[in-house]
Amino acid sequence: MRSLSISLLSLTLTLLVVANAYYQKKQFYPSVVYITKSNPSMAVIYIQAFICVWITGKIMRKIFFGQLRTTEFEHLMERSWYAVTETCLAFTVFRDDFNPKFVAVFTLLLFLKSFHWLAEDRVDYMERSPVISWLFHLRILSLLLLLGCLDLHFIQHAYLSTVTKGASVQLVFGFEYAILLTVVINIAIKYGLHSVDLNSETPWDNKAVFLLYTELVMGLIKVILYFAFVAIMVRIYTLPLFAFRPMYYTIRNFKKAFSDVILSRRAIHNMNTLYPDASPEELQAADNVCIICREEMTTASKKLPCNHIFHTACLRSWFQRQQTCPTCRLNILRNPTNNNTRPAAAAAPPRPPQAAPFMNPFFAGQNPFQMFQPPNMDNQAPQQPRPAENGGEQNGAPPPQPQPGANMPPFVFPPFPFMPFLPPPPMPPQNFASLSTEELQRMEGNERENVEARILCLKNIQMLLDAAVVMMQQYSTTVLLSNQVPTTSSNATTPPPNLFSTNNASWSNSQGQSETPRVAKVAPTTNVQSNSSSENGEGSSSDVFDKPTTSKEGPSLDASQVSQEEEIRRRRLQKFEQQTESE
Amino acid sequence: MAGSALRRLMAEYKQLTLNPPEGIIAGPINEENFFEWEALITGPEGTCFEGGVFPAKLVFPPDYPLSPPKMQFTCEMFHPNIYSDGRVCISILHAPGDDPMGYESSAERWSPVQSVEKILLSVVSMLAEPNDESGANVDAAKMWRENRIEFNKIAEKIVRRTLGIPT
Repeated sequence: MRSLSISLLSLTLTLLVVANAYYQKKQFYPSVVYITKSNPSMAVIYIQAFICVWITGKIMRKIFFGQLRTTEFEHLMERSWYAVTETCLAFTVFRDDFNPKFVAVFTLLLFLKSFHWLAEDRVDYMERSPVISWLFHLRILSLLLLLGCLDLHFIQHAYLSTVTKGASVQLVFGFEYAILLTVVINIAIKYGLHSVDLNSETPWDNKAVFLLYTELVMGLIKVILYFAFVAIMVRIYTLPLFAFRPMYYTIRNFKKAFSDVILSRRAIHNMNTLYPDASPEELQAADNVCIICREEMTTASKKLPCNHIFHTACLRSWFQRQQTCPTCRLNILRNPTNNNTRPAAAAAPPRPPQAAPFMNPFFAGQNPFQMFQPPNMDNQAPQQPRPAENGGEQNGAPPPQPQPGANMPPFVFPPFPFMPFLPPPPMPPQNFASLSTEELQRMEGNERENVEARILCLKNIQMLLDAAVVMMQQYSTTVLLSNQVPTTSSNATTPPPNLFSTNNASWSNSQGQSETPRVAKVAPTTNVQSNSSSENGEGSSSDVFDKPTTSKEGPSLDASQVSQEEEIRRRRLQKFEQQTESE
Repeated sequence: MAGSALRRLMAEYKQLTLNPPEGIIAGPINEENFFEWEALITGPEGTCFEGGVFPAKLVFPPDYPLSPPKMQFTCEMFHPNIYSDGRVCISILHAPGDDPMGYESSAERWSPVQSVEKILLSVVSMLAEPNDESGANVDAAKMWRENRIEFNKIAEKIVRRTLGIPT
């Protein structure tokens, strides 16, 4: 309403001025001269021209955009103010050229700029709008075509004028239109990508990647243009202050695009190398909805180490922001290989007897020192009263008791660089062939903490070796002892590989201990046996344990004992095999 | 296919319409633009905000759900965790990395798993139990801690105002 009244007022004023001039001079030419000579009349004419531009702008906006959205309008106003300020700054540089034509050309530039911004906003909106009509496509396409042609024309004009007449303000225009042309190209590419996506039935995962690279390339071109412009301006005129703000923003955007590309690449790399594709069964087990986009997962979904499943594309765009699991916030970059060792590591430190039945490679590494444990305990049992044995057992065998951080894998491999202490270092793969050179290097690490961890690890190895030596000594003394005391012989000479029986024994032993506190025992082995068989009704442990005790009744002759032991061992193995089969 | 943010917002809108949680109504202001929602929250029972119906506006970023939406009450509010202009300050509305108050752990921040429904439920529980350690509105936080009776009076006045009852 207000704008309408202002335009009407201006129109009346102009008519008045023209009428007045014509009334005074009677002829066309003298009246024109009169108007141009009179400052007040010229002011009115300028205002009228400005309003004409304004109205043209409104009409064009109506044609190409229809109703503007609030955010679009806000963007437009904000950017216009900056542009006007910068234009004023530019005037100061070219004050010698200052004339109405110059102002007109600058106004035209601003005018076109605002349409570029609007087009940009509108194309961005494509992705967020539920309905895109054919009118929208028509408008955007024609607008882009028009803007592109105008930009090209003005660049050409600026180029020709600079070449023929030497450097002038046309340099600035040429440069500004070149920037605008990149904007048009950028919008066109985005528009193309969005429309392809809109027309496809399934979500197009790679669109984000294309957009990212478009942004990067366009950013690079713009940055180069700005630098070239500033360099030329500094050489010919002076520092172009008016170009600094857009230049700063362009550089910032380029930097952001660059880091986005890097993060995205890293995320894609992680996705492809570290996480397995989710199988259909796993998808069924979960409720089959990707929690990021709330859509069904049919294909292309990945499983994270924490067992949460997402769409590959959703996960990728999230990983560009953050490298955590969206559901449980597990930091996926910190422990990429931890997933396979985690359950094992959790089970490893506390109780060897529980751990023993799993025969996975991880425990194969652990076994060597576990084997020494049972003889050690059994050897303590006969000689010492119950409490000592109990203590020794609950902490595991005293000497090889490892700290959690110094668990088995460090035996052979350098520790993983990211976590020298808790939790246990992840188990490196069996052979290093599957790892890339880069991964190997990362694994080795050479920061202080890595070196410290390595030293710690070596110390642990030394400790374990010492423990082994001590145990060997104890073992040999027990053997010596068993030759004299027949009752302990069977236990003490239990062949090391057969650790299941001994483990079970010690386990049932500890159970018995905890359930029925007893006074010091006289004949430990029988005691243990009766205890385990009575309290552990299920055959596994008591049966296996039964065998050695029967041997105790046998004579203590060395030769017969050896053969008997052989026999026992064979029977035990048999038993064990049956057991495992039945299980 | 439309953009993923749009599809997700549509899915959430559908979900909220089919199974509306108690005491919460939310939906786009205009079905042409799914990135601005209006929500009505009823004050939780047994609190000083009981009975009130509080209108709020939710503005979603183009990359939702990777970034959190912004929420702002459009009525007058007096609450330790609501700025005087109505903006809501709760941790699940902050992306990890930006922490206006400097105390939130990343575990309670925004993640794509969150949703409009969860945000609104969190806001309801925030109304019931303000966190006076993050003073988005310091006056309210102070009054909540030191002069609960006065706080309740103001809250009641606001409740009446939202219902259009003269105070």
